[in-house]
Amino acid sequence: MKIIIDNIECEAQKDETLLQIARRNDIHIPTLCHNDALPGLGSCRLCVVEIVDKGRRSVVASCIYPVRNEIEVYTCSDKIKNIRRNLLMLLRGRVPNDETIKKLCKEYLVPDRIKFSGDKDEHCILCGLCVKACQELGASAISTVNRGITKKVTTPYDEPSAQCIGCGSCAYVCPTDAIKIEEKDGIRNIWNKEFQLLRCTRCGKPFATKEQLEYNREKLGEAHVKLLCESCKKAIIAEKLKDIYEKV
Amino acid sequence: MRTLFEKYPKEKRYTLSILQDLQKQYGYIPKDKLIELSQYMGIPLSRLYSMATFYKALSLKPKGKYIIKVCDGTACHIRSSKTILDEIENTLGIKPGETTDDGKFSLETVNCLGSCAIAPVMVINNKYYGKLTSSMVREILKEYGGADDE
Repeated sequence: MKIIIDNIECEAQKDETLLQIARRNDIHIPTLCHNDALPGLGSCRLCVVEIVDKGRRSVVASCIYPVRNEIEVYTCSDKIKNIRRNLLMLLRGRVPNDETIKKLCKEYLVPDRIKFSGDKDEHCILCGLCVKACQELGASAISTVNRGITKKVTTPYDEPSAQCIGCGSCAYVCPTDAIKIEEKDGIRNIWNKEFQLLRCTRCGKPFATKEQLEYNREKLGEAHVKLLCESCKKAIIAEKLKDIYEKV
Repeated sequence: MRTLFEKYPKEKRYTLSILQDLQKQYGYIPKDKLIELSQYMGIPLSRLYSMATFYKALSLKPKGKYIIKVCDGTACHIRSSKTILDEIENTLGIKPGETTDDGKFSLETVNCLGSCAIAPVMVINNKYYGKLTSSMVREILKEYGGADDE
């Protein structure tokens, strides 16, 4: 079926999300709590868009809205801009010194007038993307704790978690870099737990934790897990491709 | 305490009921029981910890023998529930959310007890006290052995 996003006709499959379709067609929708590798959360609400379905207008979160009809979509109408401006004002209230939010505030012309201001050192917007990543990965070491103004993301009892494998996926997906991950002398420290880092067998760079490797081996089988860092993995694949093309 | 868990089928939807039972049995949710439950149900500890910290009815810290719930809902609030709280704080030396050192009293505020007609209201271990005044609070606490050590 065909849907129209910002007056551009886009090909769409049933139950694809609006965000997926827009991104495929190079139509920009801002997001914070979204990662292509994970299911949509719809918690940051920044991806809201206006849709017209059989003449009816409504505002939906594009990251979790599945397309069922041939609808019209407006990703940056005045109404949407206004909603995003309000959201960003509240987010800035929570994380006053966060660069990602500051940048977005500038983009959406959020007035400088500060109504609320939270902890200066706070960077977490409580979107829950890290919790989702940890859960999907299979560790479930972190979760949201408490509620209301005391809500935060942490490990049970704020203690080093037995489930944490130190993979750093939580920090990797975090839109505001709120999760602290320190690496020094081959030791990684995350969520109050120390991990010995293993070295890449090709370039010697410390890159993964022992627990991470063991976890991957258990999940994927011994043969599929090699001690190679990301850039070496890419280099090896590139070399292989080169060989194939040279033979052709 | 396997029997406490086994009262329910091993299904995710009974988790909250089990947590409530633990709360009832121990007066709080002990850490080792939470870990045990996580292993028994196959639910990550982080998820259980999330639940246990979310609900006000569940506590991770031991609660006192007598739990005083002072209503601070709209009706009680305008009938000065603050005075009641101040009186308890003065007599027992605890703020909402705290427990006395001797483990006798815990103080909590709640948002409505459904008895606005007799506001301001407090409940001590399921016994209701309505139309309270500061002096009444002092008398009631004395009955529970709370005021005489001052």
